[in-house]
Amino acid sequence: MLIQLKHIDKIYKAGQVDVPALIDINLQVERGEFVAIIGQSGSGKTTLLDIVGCLSRPTSGEYWLDGDHVNTLPDASLTGIRNRKIGFIFQTFHLLARKTALENVQLPLMYAGASRKAQQDKARELLTRVGLQDRLLHYSNQLSGGQQQRVAIARALANSPPLLLADEPTGNLDSQSGKDILALFEQLHHQGQTIVMITHDPLIAERAERRITLSDGRIVADEPAYQAAPVLG
Amino acid sequence: MLGVIIGVAAVITMIAIVEGGQAWLVHSLERMGTNLLFVWKKRLTVEERHLFAGRNTELRYDDALAIQQRFPDLLVAPIIELDGQLKAGERDYSGRITGTSPEYSEIRNFRPDSGRFISSTDIREWNRSLILGHTISEVLFGSQPAIGEEVKIADQRFTVIGVMEPKGEIYGHNYDEMVIIPISTALRFFKGTDKIQSMIIHVPNRQHMDEISGALHQFLVQRHEGVDDIRIRNQGEFLSAVDQTLLTFRIVLGGIAVIALLVGGIGIMNIMLVTVTERTREIGLRKAIGAKRQDILLQFLIESTTISVIGGCLGILVGILAAYGIGDLVAKAMPGGGDWGAVVQPTAILIAFGFAVGVGVGFGLFPAMKASKLDPAEALRYQ
Repeated sequence: MLIQLKHIDKIYKAGQVDVPALIDINLQVERGEFVAIIGQSGSGKTTLLDIVGCLSRPTSGEYWLDGDHVNTLPDASLTGIRNRKIGFIFQTFHLLARKTALENVQLPLMYAGASRKAQQDKARELLTRVGLQDRLLHYSNQLSGGQQQRVAIARALANSPPLLLADEPTGNLDSQSGKDILALFEQLHHQGQTIVMITHDPLIAERAERRITLSDGRIVADEPAYQAAPVLG
Repeated sequence: MLGVIIGVAAVITMIAIVEGGQAWLVHSLERMGTNLLFVWKKRLTVEERHLFAGRNTELRYDDALAIQQRFPDLLVAPIIELDGQLKAGERDYSGRITGTSPEYSEIRNFRPDSGRFISSTDIREWNRSLILGHTISEVLFGSQPAIGEEVKIADQRFTVIGVMEPKGEIYGHNYDEMVIIPISTALRFFKGTDKIQSMIIHVPNRQHMDEISGALHQFLVQRHEGVDDIRIRNQGEFLSAVDQTLLTFRIVLGGIAVIALLVGGIGIMNIMLVTVTERTREIGLRKAIGAKRQDILLQFLIESTTISVIGGCLGILVGILAAYGIGDLVAKAMPGGGDWGAVVQPTAILIAFGFAVGVGVGFGLFPAMKASKLDPAEALRYQ
């Protein structure tokens, strides 16, 4: 089991008032699963992704990731876990504008302590894998949205993390680029990669094998995706 | 980086220009001659005259000679002034004629442009030698060389032996309108006495001005049979007023420098803070993909140091160029400002550079420190 969440609550403080974002979340994800988390905006899906990605801590509950009881670990250990065990893909890509595609993909390898040579070799290999072998030295603002997201995927895969976390990865893309990116996700999934993806689009969620629906901070449905969504078009 | 450049350049330029102004002021004071004592006779009251009747109570040429003998380190120039008319061919000039000794030229730092000044031979032999101020030479001879020409004063024939350099007017005295003859000649042909009006004395060491002034006073009173009819004014008293002015100048300079530093600092600060939003997201991302807090702080320290140092160096360059450029303009625009120039002080460069780098690094690092303390989730979505 890769992810296990037990009774996770997340409460934000807005002045004097407590705002619950997640309430009693229990969730398990096995290795190799492709899970979509859907829900309206404000349903708590981004908060859930932050906690699963060790970007913020739950207010209460237990979180186990790949055998580590992560919510008891200090910040420094979480940094290492994010670096080695999780690959992030964001809606807005979050590439560093003043760096080339190659340098962006090198970053997680650099923070993992790889040699410069090893960083470059691995980054070149990954960019080739996502089809950007002739864009290595382009700056991110010289790339199209789809290309930028491919760089981000290459970066997420840099340290071969067991978990890939994607937050609306096609939200800023045109439909063709979006399809290509989803195809890439499916390909990764077939190679055994565990993927957890947030989306509000049922058509995209349909590409996953399991769909978890959040509403008002609670899990209201957890079902195989192909049964739940009607196939349109 | 632009903020750093402008900040550093502004401080260096401003300080250089104000320092230039100060240097110019000091220099123009020095043109007047320095370390001087002015000696003249005090007017006695009716009672005093009655009381001291029969005693030797005049300032005389002998007094000057005696001082020179008694205090060989000093330069003594006795002075007598007459009104007279100069005639050279068809042209004439009426004005003040100064009788003095060879030392005058050095004491006043006022030298002949062509020909020579009075010599000791002129004094000894009562030569009818004449030295003209720059303007007077033009009045009498136009652009023709005046040296060797004859000029009549009263019925005496004088020969022009020198024309002085242009010096202009300093504190109400126009050096270019001076007419100078040997003091011995003036006393013998025009006065018939050995009474002089005043003396200017140069003291080699400024620290000893008061001491020597006292000794001279005592020496003269003794020569005047105990009558205190001498007044000695110390240029140091005058210079201390000037020092006050310079102090004011320095305070103004300091104020300007502080304002320039503040303006520069605020510029740098703004530019560093503008990028905070962008940088906070970058820090969030770097933390998400595995950067430790110290990785981020080190990165920002190196970045802001590099930017500040490069910007600071460019600022020094721009500042120096601007200072000399503006200095040149001022020199050209100001009458008599030919020797005006900006003075770039190494201290100003150091202060400006140090301050700019300090502010640059501080404000580069401070937001990074704050952002690196945030949860990565918060930093990533920072608006």
